[in-house]
Amino acid sequence: MSVHDPHVGQRPAPSWGVRRFTPSWRWLTEAMWWVEHAFGRAHADARPEEDTRVRIFVILSVFSAVFVCLTLGAVHAALLTAGAGGGASNHPNAVIRADMVDRNGALLATNIVHYGLYIDPAQVWDRRAAAAQIRRALPRVSKTRLDAALYGDRRLLVVNRLTPREKVAVHNLALGGVSFEPEDVRVHPLGESARHVVGNVDTGGVGLSAAERAFNDEIRAAGARGESFQISIDLRVQGVLENELAAAAEATQARGAVGIITDVQTGEVLGMASWPASNSRNLATAATYEMGSVFKTFTVAAAIDTGRADMNTLLDASEALQIGSRRITDFHAQNKVMTLEEVYLHSSNIGTSLLSTQMGPRVMRDYFDRFGLMSRAPFEIPSEAPITPREWSDSTLASLSFGYGISITPMQMAAAMGALTNGGRFIPLTLRKGGRPEVRGRQIVSPETSLAMLDLMRRNVVRGSGGRAEAPGLRVGGKTGSANKSVNGRYNTAHAVGTFAGVFPADGPVNARRYQILVLIDEPQTYPRTGGFVAAPAVGRIADRIAGFVGVARRADPYRTALGDRIPAFEDLEGDGR
Amino acid sequence: MSTAVVALNRLFAWKIRGIRWIEIIGVLLVAVMVFSVYVAKAAAARESARISELERQISDNGQRVRLLRAEVARLEQPNRLEALSRGAGLGPVDVHRQATAESLPSLAPIPEPRPVVIAPTPSAAADAPVADPARGDEP
Repeated sequence: MSVHDPHVGQRPAPSWGVRRFTPSWRWLTEAMWWVEHAFGRAHADARPEEDTRVRIFVILSVFSAVFVCLTLGAVHAALLTAGAGGGASNHPNAVIRADMVDRNGALLATNIVHYGLYIDPAQVWDRRAAAAQIRRALPRVSKTRLDAALYGDRRLLVVNRLTPREKVAVHNLALGGVSFEPEDVRVHPLGESARHVVGNVDTGGVGLSAAERAFNDEIRAAGARGESFQISIDLRVQGVLENELAAAAEATQARGAVGIITDVQTGEVLGMASWPASNSRNLATAATYEMGSVFKTFTVAAAIDTGRADMNTLLDASEALQIGSRRITDFHAQNKVMTLEEVYLHSSNIGTSLLSTQMGPRVMRDYFDRFGLMSRAPFEIPSEAPITPREWSDSTLASLSFGYGISITPMQMAAAMGALTNGGRFIPLTLRKGGRPEVRGRQIVSPETSLAMLDLMRRNVVRGSGGRAEAPGLRVGGKTGSANKSVNGRYNTAHAVGTFAGVFPADGPVNARRYQILVLIDEPQTYPRTGGFVAAPAVGRIADRIAGFVGVARRADPYRTALGDRIPAFEDLEGDGR
Repeated sequence: MSTAVVALNRLFAWKIRGIRWIEIIGVLLVAVMVFSVYVAKAAAARESARISELERQISDNGQRVRLLRAEVARLEQPNRLEALSRGAGLGPVDVHRQATAESLPSLAPIPEPRPVVIAPTPSAAADAPVADPARGDEP
């Protein structure tokens, strides 16, 4: 055992400490001294239990506790911390924005590393030769920018967004002072195809329009996970729609055209096209039209749903309908009392005007509201608001019943036709694959009304104005619409809109898989300009070509065989396709 | 003192050249531990470098795949394919020339199976006169 001086406790701190430190530090040195000599004091105070072993034990305990803590920390870090293992925390295939793919995985938009070309003039040997070589390898480079960089005094960006191929071409020149910096660029390999659906992205990777904007956050989140982002479009269907729409628009020398294909049971948009594709304006959402007789579908549906009419209800269209000073006539007057079916198939303005005035403004407005005709279409791509009537007089009601006095976007029409043909549930259209999980369909008409309208629309193709939309064995139904456009406040017959809102297959139960095809031709220049001639044939061809993609088999129905042959002898009642 | 404590004390006091065995064993254990930690850390660093390298390769390959997929998408875009098909004189198939698998039998009836010819029994074959190949009497 060591020897301790029993008086050491009373010993003052060494005087050198007092000299060296300022008075403010004196308490510290005294405190240290006091601790140092605590052991001596303990012996002096006759407390032998506080001897060396106690100190060793205390120090041992403290060190043990520290080491146990360190050990636990190390074990925790080694075994229990998520993400340990040396790998990067990000997914190796993570990108700023996920690839956008269609419902089958076909690529619509992707991120590709492009390169910015920089030139440091201090390292260029022969500037004239370098300029000539770069211009030969990269014809799109601007001469002024290239010269500015070559004859400047610091490193400058010459051109950005070099494709990997262009980069290799310039790199192979082996020029000094030329360098590349990678930059992530959003690429749309389909060019103008589906551009109105996919949309654009700014250089910072933020979606600016259409699906890129609507799903911006989800696309970025999927990109961070290294996954793709699917939308509801089917590229095959989209391709058929675009090609047939362009063919129809070119054949009719139209000013514009819109096509929309939806799954009526889920609200998914399978194809959406706006012609000409070079126009950045998407006519499906950004333009409103008075669509004419297609609206007779809604008038008749409202009449059936309220119980005011059925297929055999008689309406007197034997003479023109006089509402105040206004005289309503039929395009091809039958001058007879007609059943509701005949009113629809002959597209009688008088018949639907009678129905609408009988129902009155409250009921008509209620049903137009239910069909979503009075408000913007609830869709991921923001759309134009409809132009709705300010007052609901009998004259307005008559106009509304056959599609005048209200301008709606094609998206609204597609959603409303979908609701009428899926059992009466209004389902907002969506670009989200599988539909919107959080949105429940709103029942707007009864399933019986929906079935009646499906049958009526089918008959309209078999026996009415929509005959040119027939596709063999696909049971196409639909309604034509033809309207004159208002030019300088007057309706001008030289400016027309021809529409066909079709659905296939029109038979089967209300919840059967069914697809809605809307084609609208804006200002066709060929005669006749009615929807039955300009739009219906395109719908028939589209249905014929996409049936295989969407899995609709050709089958016979009461009107036609599976190969499109007539079952009962039948003639087009009108032949005018109105 | 119990025997266990005595044994422990003896073990503790077991020395060689004035050094306790227990301390030698402890030092050896510590040395082994230090070495194994070093080996484990070196291996982990190697694995980590390899993982980083693989991830870089995955990323590079991912970039190439993206580039190739974009190229495929460009080449397979419906507008282009349709234009090429029309240029080659192709078009949608007429409905009368389409058929399903179920309708195949009606398009080309399955031929009647040939009547089964019963082969002569071995005994009958043995009784039959053996043709002499050299005579060339086959038809």
